[in-house]
Amino acid sequence: MIPLTYYLACSAALFIIGLYCLIAKRNMVRLLISLEIMISAANINFIAFSTYAVSGFMHPLAHALVILSIAIGGCILAIGLAITLHAYKHFKTLDVKKLKRIRW
Amino acid sequence: MFTFALDALFFFIVITPLVGLLGRKIGFRRFPPIFATVGFMVSLAFLPLLYNQVLDNGGIIMITSELLFMRPIAVCLEIDMLSIFMTAIFLFIGLMTCIYSIRFMEHDTGLVEYYTLLLITVAGMVGVSFAGDFFTLFIFWEIMCISSYALVAFRKGKWEPIEAGFKYLIMGSAGSITVLYAMSLLYGMTGTLNFAYLSTTLSSTSNNIWLYLALTLIIVGFGVVASIAPFHTWLPDAHAAAPSPISALLSGIVIKTGAYALIRCLLLLFIPEQFAWQSVLAIFAIFTMFVGNFMALLQKDIKRLLAFSSVVNMGYIIFALSIRTEQGLTGGLFHIMNHAVIKALLFLCVGSFIYRTETRNLEKLTGIGRKMPVTTALFAIGALAAAGFPGLNGFMSEIMIVIAGIDVGWYIPTALMLLNILFSVAYYLLLIHTFIIKKPTMNYEGVKESPKSMLVIMVILATLCVVIGVYPAPFINFANAAAKAALNIQAYIEAVIGASM
Repeated sequence: MIPLTYYLACSAALFIIGLYCLIAKRNMVRLLISLEIMISAANINFIAFSTYAVSGFMHPLAHALVILSIAIGGCILAIGLAITLHAYKHFKTLDVKKLKRIRW
Repeated sequence: MFTFALDALFFFIVITPLVGLLGRKIGFRRFPPIFATVGFMVSLAFLPLLYNQVLDNGGIIMITSELLFMRPIAVCLEIDMLSIFMTAIFLFIGLMTCIYSIRFMEHDTGLVEYYTLLLITVAGMVGVSFAGDFFTLFIFWEIMCISSYALVAFRKGKWEPIEAGFKYLIMGSAGSITVLYAMSLLYGMTGTLNFAYLSTTLSSTSNNIWLYLALTLIIVGFGVVASIAPFHTWLPDAHAAAPSPISALLSGIVIKTGAYALIRCLLLLFIPEQFAWQSVLAIFAIFTMFVGNFMALLQKDIKRLLAFSSVVNMGYIIFALSIRTEQGLTGGLFHIMNHAVIKALLFLCVGSFIYRTETRNLEKLTGIGRKMPVTTALFAIGALAAAGFPGLNGFMSEIMIVIAGIDVGWYIPTALMLLNILFSVAYYLLLIHTFIIKKPTMNYEGVKESPKSMLVIMVILATLCVVIGVYPAPFINFANAAAKAALNIQAYIEAVIGASM
C-alpha cells in the first residue's frame, strides 16, 4: 500500500504548480486551469486523508465535500470562461498583460 | 430547514426567474425588482423571530442531524448573537441596494438575472454567518463569491467590468481554494470539520508546523475577500467597475463576510494563547490602513477613492479583532455596522451623480453641489461620518477601538491608527470641498436632483448615520452581545458536544 505521505507530497506539488501558474502565466484560460489544478490538490488531500484515517473504512464527509467542491470548481470555470469570452470580444486577445487599462 | 430567514431568501431566489418570465409576458418590467424587494422584506421580518428564538435557547441554537453518532461528521447550522448581528446588517443593506437598483438599473437588460444574483449573494452571506462547520461555510462562501463575480461583470458590454470581474474572479477563487486546502489539512489532523469538535481537538493538540500552515492559509484565504493589504488589489477595480448598488453591496457587506469568517475561525479554532496570531494580525492591519490611505490620496476617480477608504476601514476592523478584548471586539463589530451604513450611503450618492452626469472623474464632478444639493448634502453627511466627525456614527466606533487598544497597552499601533484616522479626514474634507465649495468646471445642462426612490434610500441611510451617532446605546448593546457571543467559545462548543454527551 502506498504511504499517505506520497499522496500529500503529490497534492502539495500540485498546489504549488497551480500557484506558480497563477502568478507566472499570462493567458486567461491558463489562469482558470491553474485554479482547477489547485482545487484538485485540495480534493486529493481530502480523499487521501479520508481513506487513511481508519484502515478498511472510508470517512464519508470528505467524499461528500469533494463531490461538491468539484461542482463548485465547475461553476468557477463556467463564470470565468464566460468572462473570458467577453474579454476576447472587447480586446481581441487573451493576454492579461495586454488588458492593462486597469493596472493588472 | 435552514431557519425561516434563510428559507424565505431561497424561496424567492427560486421564484424570481418565474416571476420575471410572467412579467415579460404581461409587459410589466418592474415585476422582478419589486418581487426581490418583497423577498428581502420577508426575510428581514423573520429575523426578530429568530432573535427571540436564540434568546430563548440561551443565546445559541443548533440545527443538525438527529442521530447522535453522526454529530462529528454531520453538517450543522449554529446561530448565536454574532450570526444574528451580521445577518441583520446583510439583510438591511441588501434591501437598501435592491430598492435603489429599481431606478438605477432601469435601462439595463437582464434584470431578472440581476435581482436573482442579488438575492443569491445575500443568501450566501447569511448562510456563511449561520454556518456551524467548515463544510457549510465553504459551500455558502462559494455561493456568495461566485454570484458576486457575476454581479461585478454584469455590464458585460463595457471593457472595464469585464477586466475587473476577471481579476476579482482569479483572486477571490484563489483565496477560497486556499481556504479549501487549509480545511483539508485540518480535516487530516482531526477527522472532522465541525467547528466545535475542531476547537476541542485543536486546543488539546500540541503546536506543530502543519497547524501553523493551516492558520496562515486561512488568514490568507479569508484575507483576500476581507482585503488585507497585500491581497487588496482586486477591491478598487471591482468597486469602481461594478454598478453603483453592487459597489455598495461589495463595500458594505461582502468584504465584511471575510471579516466575519476571520473572527469566527481565529477566535474559535486557533486560540490566541496557543497560537499567538494577535501581533502578526495587528501588523497586517496597520499595513492595510497605510496602503489604503496613501492610495486613496492619489485617486482621481471618486469610486476608486471610496474603495481605498474601504480598505482602510477593513484595517480598523482587523485591528479591533487583533486586540481581542471584549471591548475591542465590540468596537470592531460596531464599526462593521457603521461602516456598512456609511459606505452604502456614499456609494449610493456617487451612484446618483453617475446616474445624472455619467462621469466618475473628480475634476468633472467639481461643484456638483450646485446642481444636486440634496444628494450632495447627504454625501457630505456620509463623508463627515466616515471621517470620524464627532456626533456621527463613525466617530463612536473608531473611538471605541482606540480606547480598547490603549487599554491593552498597545500604544504604538493605536497611535498609528489615530494617524490614519487623521489622514482619512484630509481626503474626505477635500471631497466635500470639491463638491460643495469649488466653482463648477463643467457646464451641467439639464442635470437635476436624483429621482425620489433613490433619494428615499439615501435619506434613510443618512438618518441612520445621525441616529447611531447621537443615540448609540442600543446599537452598542447589540454589538456587545455579539462580541460576547463570539468570545464565549465554551457555550458554542457545548451547544454541539454537550448535547451529544
